[in-house]
Amino acid sequence: MNSTAQKNELIFGYSGGNLNEAKSLFVSMYLHLNSLAAKKASIFENILADNLNDINEIRPQNLKYTDCIKYPSSSKTILSKSKNPLSNIIGDLQKITWKSVYKGFKEYNLPFNGKDSVKLIKMDPGTSVPLHSHNGKEYILVLEGSFCDEYGEYNKGDMQINDQKTKHNPTACKNDGCICLSISENDVVFFGKFGSILNLFTFIKSFFK
Amino acid sequence: MENEKVINLIQKISIDRDEKAFSEIFDFIAPKINAYYIKSDLDFDQAEELTQEVLSTIWSKAYLFDPQKSKLITWSFTIARNKKIDFYRKNKKNITDEQDIRDFMYENNKANDYEIEHTIDKISQELDENQQKLIKMSFFEQKSHKKIAEELEIPIGTVKSRIRSTLNKMQKFLK
Repeated sequence: MNSTAQKNELIFGYSGGNLNEAKSLFVSMYLHLNSLAAKKASIFENILADNLNDINEIRPQNLKYTDCIKYPSSSKTILSKSKNPLSNIIGDLQKITWKSVYKGFKEYNLPFNGKDSVKLIKMDPGTSVPLHSHNGKEYILVLEGSFCDEYGEYNKGDMQINDQKTKHNPTACKNDGCICLSISENDVVFFGKFGSILNLFTFIKSFFK
Repeated sequence: MENEKVINLIQKISIDRDEKAFSEIFDFIAPKINAYYIKSDLDFDQAEELTQEVLSTIWSKAYLFDPQKSKLITWSFTIARNKKIDFYRKNKKNITDEQDIRDFMYENNKANDYEIEHTIDKISQELDENQQKLIKMSFFEQKSHKKIAEELEIPIGTVKSRIRSTLNKMQKFLK
């Protein structure tokens, strides 16, 4: 299956409300940064909503319109226009405390329920990640800056989906590095010179999750 | 109900807090939303409870509705779907607020209404009845692949591959 189809499937899942909390946040950030993706979501929501037009209506038995006027409205905090869905959870992206993984590569884990691991990744200009693949799928969304790998260049608002078949060696852009949001369904498998050590490291880390 | 009338009623609700106008919107929308929840396998009490939440949101947040961005039915559907997501996640400790995020996305949505309508027309011409039914069952009624397979009496693998090929067909128009 090609990557566009996988991206669309995520968008459709989001529009239908079928995604878990972590993926839902991921896609909402994608729609926030990428207007084409937002348009697709809009189209799909319209298609789904259209089903309400010819649904066999069932009148509520014990509910009158006056019950809805009196009902206390849920007064939740409304996101301000300048904010985005992610900053609602972590605050200002510039102010979070990063955990250094190795030189030029930092992480910040987001505490989500479920089996997906969600984190922010910050790579200094020119930093690369050794050649690796993934046991499950990995979704990467560029929030700031850009990176490139064997498959192309990824800028702000671009998404990359990697699976078992993808081996890649991403490198952050030389000018301003990059910050990405990443969801991994399973751990990363490294190749090459330091591969076995890095694999051992992820194996040990899995005990502390 | 005519779109012009809907827009007029919503304006009366948001600007004048007109209860009579709201009663008309209630009669138009509530039976659809209630049916949507019952179709999604919620029991009658739960369905009415969530319908109440949706209609209360329409009453209290009518000012958010923008007829340039969407039809009332689409806006109502997204509220209803969000309430359903919240309902299923209620017992879990959530770190995000789905409703907030989706309100925000809606307010900041820059999609052009005409262009969207045009694409939707093309997609609905392209999909045959079975494909539309699968999309409806999987994404509108949110039935699992297993349940769809049982209801249509076809293997689960066939359900998956048909949904995938339907989505692929749709994506030709999503450029």
